[in-house]
Amino acid sequence: MSPRLFLQVASVEMRKRMSYRVDFWINAFVGFAAELTVAWFLWTALYAESGKSVIGGYDFDTMLVYYVFVIVFSRLVRGTEFEANVSQDIYEGGLNRYLVFPASYFGLKYAQHIGGLFPTIVQTGAFVAFWLIATGGAGGESITPTGVLMCAASLILANLLYYAMSFPLHVTAFWADNVWSLLVTLRFASNLLGGRMFPLVLFPLFLRNANEWLPFRTLFALPVEALLGRISFDAWLQGMAVGLVWLVVLAQVGRAVWRRGNLQYSGIGI
Amino acid sequence: MTIAALSRASTMIRVRDLQKTYYVHEKAPGLWGSIRSLVARKRIAKQAVQGVNLDVEEGEILGLVGPNGAGKTTLVKMLAGIIHPSGGDAQVLGHTPWERHNDFRRQIALIMGQKAQLWWDLPAADGFLLLKEIYRVPDERYAKNLAYLAEVLDVTKHLNVQVRRLSLGERMKMELIAALLHEPRVVFLDEPTIGLDLTAQRAIRDFLLAYREEHRPAMILTSHYMEDIERLCKRIVIIDGGEFIYDGPLERVAKTYATQKVITAHLRANVGTPIDLTAFERFGELLPAEENEVKLRVARDAVAEAAAALLAGLPVADLSIDEEDIGTIIERIFRERRVESS
Repeated sequence: MSPRLFLQVASVEMRKRMSYRVDFWINAFVGFAAELTVAWFLWTALYAESGKSVIGGYDFDTMLVYYVFVIVFSRLVRGTEFEANVSQDIYEGGLNRYLVFPASYFGLKYAQHIGGLFPTIVQTGAFVAFWLIATGGAGGESITPTGVLMCAASLILANLLYYAMSFPLHVTAFWADNVWSLLVTLRFASNLLGGRMFPLVLFPLFLRNANEWLPFRTLFALPVEALLGRISFDAWLQGMAVGLVWLVVLAQVGRAVWRRGNLQYSGIGI
Repeated sequence: MTIAALSRASTMIRVRDLQKTYYVHEKAPGLWGSIRSLVARKRIAKQAVQGVNLDVEEGEILGLVGPNGAGKTTLVKMLAGIIHPSGGDAQVLGHTPWERHNDFRRQIALIMGQKAQLWWDLPAADGFLLLKEIYRVPDERYAKNLAYLAEVLDVTKHLNVQVRRLSLGERMKMELIAALLHEPRVVFLDEPTIGLDLTAQRAIRDFLLAYREEHRPAMILTSHYMEDIERLCKRIVIIDGGEFIYDGPLERVAKTYATQKVITAHLRANVGTPIDLTAFERFGELLPAEENEVKLRVARDAVAEAAAALLAGLPVADLSIDEEDIGTIIERIFRERRVESS
């Protein structure tokens, strides 16, 4: 797929998303505010009940900073619409249109995914800037240019990795009548093991060790830890390597399932 | 056959013994059926296309006619490369469609009347730009084709309107533009006029004929509107139960299958007393007719006798003898097949 086509598809998707301006901002603000409020109440209670000022190496302010970034980054990693698209294309026959196009379906979908992310990137920038200005900094953490670069690289990998993780699940729609439960399972597992629910340092040691070899940590914890400087360069590199290996494996799995599923496809909808 | 050989013979679509079997799961009704289906489901094979053969030439519009579930759309989907067959072979422009080579996909178009191809939330012009990139249409050719198609279909002023805000007819015209911008050599049209008003149907038929004259693509058209078929296709394939039951000129359908004719007697306007028509029922079936008109459907070999009786028994001002319309003939073919198979 040519870069020009990729950009064109992404641009169309971006314009499409921006055309719903009210929905665009309400969705972003309400979701962000609700999640952060829940985290605030929960951790206020936990710190008060435990009588500790530091839990798992995080004081209350830093914990909130962790949540601010993990909430906005998870939007960048997951995107907003891709999850509903591929399996829906298969169920409803929307795939027919793409199969006739002389272009890769994966490529077109990923370009749409990236295009759909653009508004989220704008929102993320706005939220982070607002938070940093409102609170006067990132808690007790120092954000360095190196940390920003490591975080950016992690986010790119995490975005690709989540796409590669969810794609084979969507493609099972060729056989299954409903893949919703698989997607919910992925969301739950990635939230829990990816550090989206709480910092991974709160897990027991054996689980933390095992999780280092799974793909989930790369999704949310790695970018946030890199940004906040809570991970060494070597540990970050190892996390990236694990994520990269999983990306290659999952891409191959996705490709194999796609090929197999295509033989089953009946093109419902025309 | 190589592409070059195909070009020489101008056969653009070649189908041999093509088959498609779908497998569907059956679930018994009710709660118990739902519970049982969690453990074991009954799998049923449905032969949608049963070993069909077909050749379509350059510039030909082939009409594919059949009732719902006959296998028309399945055949089109295989030829467009959307689904894989269960057996047999097909070559479209020298390519096996379901291998989906980009070179093949750049030369075909699929227009689905029941399924929007364009992006609903964007103006059609934005969608066309995207298709320009997908099909790699050079700038100059794109501008020329878009201007031509939009003008002929009379939608130039709607190009910058969001697709979702267009009327059904305007939307279908935009779909046609989207499908033809890249000048495909093979076009599959699946119910292109479905749901449209008569004016829009006519406009689309006229456009398709003009397009065929100019570009000479091979086209396969499926439609439930016989007017589409009669106006656009010289050759039709009648398909039922996944089998071709007729493949030949449209005009020969009447000769082959029409066993009856319709005699219309136009009576003199000043006929005062009510006329008793029961005497004519022995010749055939009396059909509903206009005032001062008698319509009688009779077997072909009884036409002369029935016409003579009408002329002798009624104050006839004019008399016409017509073939049954093609839609009626085809409907009867399907009805008779249903009766035979049951």
